[in-house]
Amino acid sequence: MEFQISNKAKKVTLGLMGVGLLLLIVGFFFQKEYLFPTVLSDHEVYVEYWGEQGEKESDVKAEAQEAMAALGYQLDFGDEGEEHQNHGHDAAEEHGEEHSEEAHAHQSPTFDWHIHIKHLEAEGHDAHAAHGHGHDSAPSESLAAMFTNGDISMSDSHFRRFWSNLLVNGFFFFGIALGALFYLALHYATESGWGVVLLRIMEAIMSALPLGMIILVVVFIAATLGLNHIYPWMDSDVVAHDDLIWGKVAYLNKPFFWIRIICYFGVFAYFMNWFRKTSRNQDSEDVEKATASHFLMYRRGALFLVFFAVFSSTMSWDIIMSIDTHWFSTLFGWYTFSGIWLSAMIMIMMVTLYLKHKGNLEFVNSSHIHDVGKWMFALSFLWSYLWFSQFMLIWYSNIPEEVIYFVTRIESYKFIFFAMFVVNFVLPMIFLMSADTKKSWPYLIFIGLVIFIGHWFDVFCMVMPGTLFEEWNFGLLEIGMFMTFLGTFVFLVLKALGKSSLVQNNHPFLEESKHHHG
Amino acid sequence: MTDKVIYAMYDDDDVTKEACQSLVDNGVHVADVFSPFPIHGIDPIIGIKHTRLGIAAFMYGITGLLLAIIATRYFMVSDWHGINIGGKPNFSYLENIPSFVPILFEFTVLCAAHGMALTYFLRNKTLPGMPARNPDPRTTDDRFVVEVRLAENSNFSLDQLNDMIKETGIVEIDEKTIK
Repeated sequence: MEFQISNKAKKVTLGLMGVGLLLLIVGFFFQKEYLFPTVLSDHEVYVEYWGEQGEKESDVKAEAQEAMAALGYQLDFGDEGEEHQNHGHDAAEEHGEEHSEEAHAHQSPTFDWHIHIKHLEAEGHDAHAAHGHGHDSAPSESLAAMFTNGDISMSDSHFRRFWSNLLVNGFFFFGIALGALFYLALHYATESGWGVVLLRIMEAIMSALPLGMIILVVVFIAATLGLNHIYPWMDSDVVAHDDLIWGKVAYLNKPFFWIRIICYFGVFAYFMNWFRKTSRNQDSEDVEKATASHFLMYRRGALFLVFFAVFSSTMSWDIIMSIDTHWFSTLFGWYTFSGIWLSAMIMIMMVTLYLKHKGNLEFVNSSHIHDVGKWMFALSFLWSYLWFSQFMLIWYSNIPEEVIYFVTRIESYKFIFFAMFVVNFVLPMIFLMSADTKKSWPYLIFIGLVIFIGHWFDVFCMVMPGTLFEEWNFGLLEIGMFMTFLGTFVFLVLKALGKSSLVQNNHPFLEESKHHHG
Repeated sequence: MTDKVIYAMYDDDDVTKEACQSLVDNGVHVADVFSPFPIHGIDPIIGIKHTRLGIAAFMYGITGLLLAIIATRYFMVSDWHGINIGGKPNFSYLENIPSFVPILFEFTVLCAAHGMALTYFLRNKTLPGMPARNPDPRTTDDRFVVEVRLAENSNFSLDQLNDMIKETGIVEIDEKTIK
């Protein structure tokens, strides 16, 4: 029962990684930072910009002036004229403050304009009125569209999109490996017999844990050094001006954050290594010794679950929830954990089907596949249940500091936010409900891959609204980075599978697992 | 028409399973197995058809969901139109659907569970008060009984069947005539 990664698999995974990197690099150089228009009236637009000042503000102004001149208008950026100046400025400031307090834990926009649109040629009063009401789209709408589409935009200077994506992918793939480690520990702690023939697959998946850890550590180091602004509470200027964050400083401060991260990663890495080593050693031990090893793993499995129960919650607060520093949800840890577990289960299923297809898993029968399918089905419900519980309680109570989390997501991420939920809930419910589809390869592969991507978008929706606000985009950068990570992850998993026999020959429950019948 | 029935009793689920397998391999049709608990993997051996209880449960669930939708819509939107609960006035069902999801979910589960349980009892004729159909009360405790009917095994004589059954690991064997 040996497995060696085939040349074809190597080519596919590394190819995926290579193409992904290429797309990533192309996408990287086409990043823009968006300016945010609010249409105030037919001839007034309020624009704000929240990012770092990459190129000169005046260059962008000139660009906008030029684009609107082509349509026959000229722009007044709120700092010209007599009467409008004060009024415009006040409105802008009010607007800005409101925005910063509710939506972002940042102080105020980098700059904002109160633009008045005038006709280039002097026109009669009648023509003006006709223009305002008669046309399909008002000039302010066209101008706003240019900002929204990114036709007029700042170039990205601090790679916020890049860092946010790194966090999304790092956390997603870290979560898959961690989910496999969790499930392995659960399998030992509950003395389960059925899944023994799948344990080596879980071991291989959890072996890829360092990939996600390294990426996350890179993101955290950059955040600590101020190279990205993912965590607003890491910015002392923000903390000093923000009472809500100030109140959380006892928990959210850099030294304590790093102590926690080192604890999590240290404990996870230690258990991952220990389980892998012990189970590999077990293969060459005599029966008595192997049984003793098994009971040791049984106890360590239970111990790991204790750590995991606490760490999975606090970890999700630290890595994800603290991005929206003002916001909090007591369900968040469970919600994140259910997503992690489900993604890991899909990965276990996919690797099992791949190995079975290659003829490497002679003892895995349709009952094992059926049972993993049941997990995929059940965990989809667990995730949907927690997602909805969190959503409904916050939606119903409608407390401003809580509900802002969903307001941002529904206003700016509406499609992916709801589409992601519908896909991750409805698809498994309809297509994995019957026992036959849980054993059917085409169904499992199709549904599995769709909800796998669905759960990537879940992480996307957790991170992006807090780091990029309305300025998110989905393009080559995102696709490329996902492909790079997926290719690397699968390559590492397949590589790890080759390091030991695919069956734990000395596992006391091996016989039971071989005859597993669901 | 009278029929002879043989009841073979075992004291272990695995032995029962092996016995059924050997009988079936010899071409015997096993009518039923009585057991205090479900024996995994015995259904395909004795050729029991896959249960349709799941489909029934799905139907009951759908019924419950529809009933709950009709009820909440009638109570909260049609009848008491626009009543303001917790700042969420019920003017439109669609806009307010998240607040109804818990009851929709619970009623779906209620109908599916109760419907499924009742169907199960009815189909097995085991509603409370119905006469017990197991041949020996010990099959509710720690014994397993395999039922073989003569009429369903016309290739064999009663003696042949008895001999084959005695070769398996039985603890008791009993014969009855049913009408």
